Amino acid sequence: MTLLKVSGEHDLYTAPDLRDRLKEGLSAGAVVVDLSGATFVDSSILGALLSARQRAAEDGNGFAVSLETGASRTVRQVFEITGLIPAMPVLPSVEEAMKAMNNEPATRHEAG
Amino acid sequence: MPRVSLKIPARPENVAVVRQALSGLADSMRLENGVLTNMKVAVTEACANVVVHAYEDDGDMELEILPRASELTVVVRDEGRGFRPRVSTGEDASWRLGMPLIASLTDGFEVAHGPEGHGTEVRMTFAVH
Repeated sequence: MTLLKVSGEHDLYTAPDLRDRLKEGLSAGAVVVDLSGATFVDSSILGALLSARQRAAEDGNGFAVSLETGASRTVRQVFEITGLIPAMPVLPSVEEAMKAMNNEPATRHEAG
Repeated sequence: MPRVSLKIPARPENVAVVRQALSGLADSMRLENGVLTNMKVAVTEACANVVVHAYEDDGDMELEILPRASELTVVVRDEGRGFRPRVSTGEDASWRLGMPLIASLTDGFEVAHGPEGHGTEVRMTFAVH
C-alpha cells in the first residue's frame, strides 16, 4: 500500500504532480491519501482524487482518503459542498482509511 | 476602502498569487476568517477556469475587488474566447465541481460574456459582517 501525505496549499498548479504520484501509487497497488496536513485544495485536486478512485476500482485496488477531525475546515468544506463526502471514502485517520479500504468489495474481488 | 485590481498572466502558478492578494486585503480590512476562506475557494475556481479555458495561447486574468459597506464584490475577468467546457475530459470534471463551490460559497454570482464570445467576467459577491 502507498501512503501519500499531502500538506499545504494545492490547486491546479500542483494537481499534475499529485496525479503522477497517484498513478505511480496505484500501479503498485492500494493508495491512501492523507489530507490532514493540507490547508487548501481546489476542484482540480478533487478531480485528481476522483480519477484515482475510479482507476483503483477498475483495477480492483483499494483507495481511501484520510482527513483527521482537526484538519483544515476549508478542505473539509470543499469535500462536503461538492458531495465528495460521502461519495468518496473519507476517514478520520490513516488506520481507519486502511481498514475501510480492506472492506471494499474491489479488494475482496482481488483476493478471490 | 480603495478598490483593488490586479492583472497577471493566466497561468496555473499565478492562482496562488491571487489568493495571496486576497489574504493581504482580508488582513487590511480585518475580514472574518470564514469570509476569506470562502473568497479563496470561490476565486480560485473562477481563476482556474480562466487558466484552463479562456485562451488558446497566452493571456491575462484580471482581478478586481470592489469593497462596499456590507459586501465585497470580486470580479475575475479575461479577454479569452469565452467559457467552453470540454466534455469528458479531466478538466471538465474539475469545473463540474468548481461551479457548485462558487455557487455555495458566494452570496451571489453571475457570469457575463463579452461581445462575440470575447472575454468572460465572473462577478462574485460576499457578505461582510
